Amino acid sequence: MPGFRVLLVDDETIFTKNISKLLKNRGYEITAVNSGDAAIRELEQNPVDVIVLDLKMPGMDGIATLKEIIKLGLFAETLILTGHGSIDSALEAMKLGAYDYLTKPCEIDELVAKIESAWGKKKEAN
Amino acid sequence: MKVPHIAHDGSEAAEGPDLAGERRATYSRLFWRFVWLTILCSLVPLLLVGWGINLHYSQFARERMLNFLQTQVEDHRKDIERFLSEQTSKLQLIARTHELEQLIKPGSLQTVFELFNQDIRTLTDLGVIAENGYHLAYVGAYDLWARNYSREFWFDQAMQKGIYVSDMFMGFRKEPHFIIAVTHSKGDRKWILRATINTEAFRSLVENVRIGRTGQVYLLNAEGVFQTSARVSGAIMEKSSYPMESYHEGLRTRTLDGLRDAQGRERPRQIACQAWLQDPRWLLVVKQDYDEAFADVNHANTWTLVFLHLSAASILVVTVFITRHMITSIKRRDAEADRLNQQLLQTGKLASIGELSAGVAHEINNPLAIILTERQLLLDAARQTPITDPEFQEQFSDSMNQIDLQVQRCKRITQNLLRFSRRTKSMIEKVDLNGFIQEVVDLMEREARTSGIKFFSEPDLALPPVSSDPSQLQQVFLNLITNAIDAHDGKPYGSIRISTRADAERQMATVKVADAGAGIKPEHLSRIFDPFFTTKAVGKGTGLGLSICFSIVKRLGGSLTVQSEVGKGTEFTIQLPYTPPKELQDSLSTKRSPKPAA
Repeated sequence: MPGFRVLLVDDETIFTKNISKLLKNRGYEITAVNSGDAAIRELEQNPVDVIVLDLKMPGMDGIATLKEIIKLGLFAETLILTGHGSIDSALEAMKLGAYDYLTKPCEIDELVAKIESAWGKKKEAN
Repeated sequence: MKVPHIAHDGSEAAEGPDLAGERRATYSRLFWRFVWLTILCSLVPLLLVGWGINLHYSQFARERMLNFLQTQVEDHRKDIERFLSEQTSKLQLIARTHELEQLIKPGSLQTVFELFNQDIRTLTDLGVIAENGYHLAYVGAYDLWARNYSREFWFDQAMQKGIYVSDMFMGFRKEPHFIIAVTHSKGDRKWILRATINTEAFRSLVENVRIGRTGQVYLLNAEGVFQTSARVSGAIMEKSSYPMESYHEGLRTRTLDGLRDAQGRERPRQIACQAWLQDPRWLLVVKQDYDEAFADVNHANTWTLVFLHLSAASILVVTVFITRHMITSIKRRDAEADRLNQQLLQTGKLASIGELSAGVAHEINNPLAIILTERQLLLDAARQTPITDPEFQEQFSDSMNQIDLQVQRCKRITQNLLRFSRRTKSMIEKVDLNGFIQEVVDLMEREARTSGIKFFSEPDLALPPVSSDPSQLQQVFLNLITNAIDAHDGKPYGSIRISTRADAERQMATVKVADAGAGIKPEHLSRIFDPFFTTKAVGKGTGLGLSICFSIVKRLGGSLTVQSEVGKGTEFTIQLPYTPPKELQDSLSTKRSPKPAA
């Protein structure tokens, strides 16, 4: 068991449900929320180790959410997930402090590899 | 080999015949409008001023010439009158200072006659005639002693008036002459001192004014009979064809047409100046051919007009030449404007499609991500609960693979779409195009090796590093080379030639990517830069590659054109400025340090 918590933030409920299942199948402890606000609320109550954050969401978007997360001062590595293909926003997020980015659609193995890598970074930092 | 050239430049070949014809008509109208306007603005004033000055000068010159003629005639009239008046005065003096007896004494009249003719032979003869008409004394060469003059026309006139100057007449001597008769009376005796003026001497006096080659001077009596011979018009005592006018004071200048000479031949137009003598009433006529009189003026006129019209002709030629040159420039500018418009249109089309593509791509990526996760869930489930039916297992496995394949295909399409619309943060750097292209070629050559395609590079070593965006250029060259490889589809071998050329004057680099592939059909040529236009098999191309290339090159301030012939191959030409457009530079951060290749 990996032994760390992952928070998935994406407005596509089916996507979050599927990814949650897939990650759980692979032994990860994952919580999924469908908006930036929900993510902040969740994080305030249950801190996580790795956040997988969609950039384009209604309401608070990925960048705004990231900024809020940074404000909270949580020591979690953030992976940016974008369906836009454009890496501009992803690069901006990385400048803000995101660990890495992934473009949709992506293979589950690729996502898992990135999450592991982020967790590795988190462990190093600690 | 004639290669059709479609260059997105709006050239005539791309226009319909009607449009081209209309353009030609417009240029023709424009040409003639310019020509006429220039003629109106330059020739008309020139001709008006030229003709005006010429007219003014002609009038001035004519007036001067006529003034000169009139002065001559006036002076000459005075000379003739003075001569006649002198002769009359002399005769009067003799008559008054000499007693008749003294005069008719032998030898006395001879002395007077000789004194008269001392300097010039003015008189032909001199006689003293009694009241009865017979000579009392006579000195002269004619045999007139026995003649009686009492019935002669002049005799009565002289007796009545005291002084009489006759017209020319033949008289007893049967030759033209005229006389001056002075009557003197003393007591109841009256006598006449009559002198015959030397006709030749008088004629010399009259003709003693030379006016040109065709000039004539003569005297006419009131009936228009010549009193002196004229050089051409007629002999003495003949009737002249000169149109007589009644007596007038002063001078009169006339232009005469249709006069005839002594032989009856018509004379050319003449200019005549006439003046009446007081006594006798003779008309002094000075005449000259009109053309000769105004020869200098006419000559000057002719040359002025020749120069004027030569100037006009040269203006005309220069006007036509300049206008033609101007129209050619306008045509060139129009073609350039068309080309830019076409590019603008293409760019606009690409931009709007780009906006649309970005939205579509994003919307598709999310469902694709879900499909992939669903597939993965099914695979996970199958792993946990293995399928026992081998047939179903095979079908399941095939379907899963196919789902993955199609999702990847969709992903490729959306990535292309997004790349097409992407406004990535570019960097302007110094790029050594030769080295840069070689790297791209090396990369592609590995992929093309199996297809038997050979690469040939012809770099222009004089090409300096250009300031451009290497990542975007890389995409352009990758796309063009991929297309060039694909163009050989079905051929066991082929070649791709990549050349660079420096144009220092225009500060442009030219890169040509030419393949020996299948070529592009003429009907496809004009559409190949349109987004989503592809001739590749379904699933093989998105139709965005060349659109992306076009918009990238355009954005970098260059141009992308194509030449192709079916069966022979295709050549793409990229013109890239040494420095990108200012607006691009302003919008990007420029990295100064040179970087050889991406």
